[in-house]
Amino acid sequence: MKFIFMLFFLSAVSLFAQNEFVKWEAAPASYEINNADRHDYTLDRSGFGMTILSVLRNGYYFFVSDLDGDNCAFSPSCSAFFLQAVKETSIFKGALMFADRFTRDINFFKGLNHYPQLPDRKFYDPSSNYTLHSAKIKFNLP
Amino acid sequence: MTIDTKILLRIFLIIALISASQAIYCQSNQGENIFSPENRLKFGNYLYKEKDYLRALPELKEYLKTKTDDTTQFRFADCFFRLNRFSEAEYNFRTLFSSPTLADESRLKFFESLFFDNDYAALREYSERNSYSDFKYSNEVNRLKYISFFFDDSILPKENEMLNAFPDSVRPQILNYYLLKKFPPAKSVATAAILSAIIPGAGKIYTGEIGDGITAFAATALSAYLAYSNFHNDHQFRGWLFTGLTAFFYGGNIYGSAASAQIYNVRMKFDFQKSVKLFFEERNYFLPEINF
Amino acid sequence: MKIKLSAILIYLLISPSAWAQSSLSIQFDYAEKLFNEKQYFDSITEFKRLLFIDSDGQYSYRANLIIGKCYKEGAKFDDAIKYFSFAAKNSNAPEENFEARTQIIRTNILRRTTDRALQLCDELDTDPAFVDKKDEINYWRGWAYIFADDWKNASLVFGRIDPNHELKILAEKTEKAKVSVTFAKVISYILPGAGAIYCGNFLSGLMSAGWNLLAGYWTMNSFAENRAFDGIVVGELVWLRFYRGAIQNAEEFAVEKNLKISNQSLRYLQNEYKGIKP
Repeated sequence: MKFIFMLFFLSAVSLFAQNEFVKWEAAPASYEINNADRHDYTLDRSGFGMTILSVLRNGYYFFVSDLDGDNCAFSPSCSAFFLQAVKETSIFKGALMFADRFTRDINFFKGLNHYPQLPDRKFYDPSSNYTLHSAKIKFNLP
Repeated sequence: MTIDTKILLRIFLIIALISASQAIYCQSNQGENIFSPENRLKFGNYLYKEKDYLRALPELKEYLKTKTDDTTQFRFADCFFRLNRFSEAEYNFRTLFSSPTLADESRLKFFESLFFDNDYAALREYSERNSYSDFKYSNEVNRLKYISFFFDDSILPKENEMLNAFPDSVRPQILNYYLLKKFPPAKSVATAAILSAIIPGAGKIYTGEIGDGITAFAATALSAYLAYSNFHNDHQFRGWLFTGLTAFFYGGNIYGSAASAQIYNVRMKFDFQKSVKLFFEERNYFLPEINF
Repeated sequence: MKIKLSAILIYLLISPSAWAQSSLSIQFDYAEKLFNEKQYFDSITEFKRLLFIDSDGQYSYRANLIIGKCYKEGAKFDDAIKYFSFAAKNSNAPEENFEARTQIIRTNILRRTTDRALQLCDELDTDPAFVDKKDEINYWRGWAYIFADDWKNASLVFGRIDPNHELKILAEKTEKAKVSVTFAKVISYILPGAGAIYCGNFLSGLMSAGWNLLAGYWTMNSFAENRAFDGIVVGELVWLRFYRGAIQNAEEFAVEKNLKISNQSLRYLQNEYKGIKP
């Protein structure tokens, strides 16, 4: 019995053993509980068009999206996806990407697709996967 | 003072002197001892065995400053290897290539470092040099070289050449991977887009996204029908609204089908790499376990 | 004479080992100095060196305990618990055993594995060696409840130490300041937006109520004008959406508000509270 215990103990130790890959410093642990994510209302000031779009998005967040509950199964949500898409490509290509995303969103069986799931069960689907540059496509979660 | 007490005093003095000197000797001896090269080596070896490689490194390094010792040098290099610091490992294993006892092992470890550093070009180049290729573990290195072809996009070697490097039991699986690598399953981006242009959603079905395809077809058809019926009933504004919506769905679907084909291709590659990596990892890349 | 000589001989024999001992203590002091200077990584190395040369295990308890503390300071809680367990195993007195075991509890609290912390508190509670340590055990039990965001039980447990215990009062205050999530949801079922207003989000609540009113009017109007299809579409896509949204929002606002209240107390505990912390 003792032997088994010792064996278990030793194996547990060796399992633990190496987790220091670099020299570390003190890391004070915060007592606070993490806050849930809310919509990001920050204005995008990278260009006139983007500013207008993010103002429109904020209006949508404020008057509709913040009031009608959590409806989008994707992360980023459709509106955030649209802005990302426009920023990454152009207004025309971004609109096409958004149209495709919108169609995928109204598909009742999107759970059968291959979207990776985030801890909050949302489907991770960033706009960078749809820019038609295969090097930008990533399947790993952020 | 009697003679007795005098003698006693002298004896006491002598003893005090002896013990004091002994104490000083002991202190300096012990104090130095802990950090003497030999003791650092002992402590370093203990840490190495405990798998505390990061702490073992400076101990072994201090010892190696005073003495050359192949085993210690090997462990020193191995610490870098275990800490995933492969370029330092490569450098330190290289210093042992002419070692009388560990030349073969350090060569193998050198190649392993190149492999895990994803430096496949260097691995292939060195493994084909005569001065590097003929040693105890040539077969292992040869296999590593062939495995590396699965992980980058260079031109695959001949099928038989590759298969011969592996044991019989895994050859069917290796052949399977070889063929998948050579002829990867792929969907044409243009085909997907053209199919969707002819029948909305068809491109998505072609890339395997059946639900998305049906949804796209239904959405386009419904908005087109609504546009038609509104124009028919002379509701101009609504007619144009639904026409715009139809164009939105139709265009988005063509674009999405092209993107979907591309995502399919990348996913196939991704899944292939994952599966290959798992296969070789489970077999430890056919590498021998070198223990001290 | 003979006796004196033998006494001297004994002294001669003992003195070197006494000095060897002091060399261990020099190493201990050095390692401890690194700990006090917050050089936790190096401190662990030197304590490990001490343990390596300490063949009699004189320092097993103390060195392992401080190694555990170093890992705890580096937020490497799994390692910390491993070394505190070594310390507990090598303790020479009940006092030492208690110290090591409470350190394990404190690390579990910081790691937020509060269930485990509570379980370990229960184990200490039933240990006959620590009958006089009830207050201290309850103190850490209270902290475990705080980190589990269970302020009600925390106030109960601190109250057992002292009905006027500072942390009991804080926990009670925090618990009282919280809003009821169920209530917020229920009133939103009856009047959309009411839950948000109850949680202090007036604008959002009013806008929710507005949308529901508007969508309700559109739906009813469509049915009244015999446009059943429009009615169903607006009812399903607009009214129901905002009705569900109002209930969901009420819940989210209540949870968020409670989190804010908890975090305010937690911030106080971390930055201003003077007592001993996990």
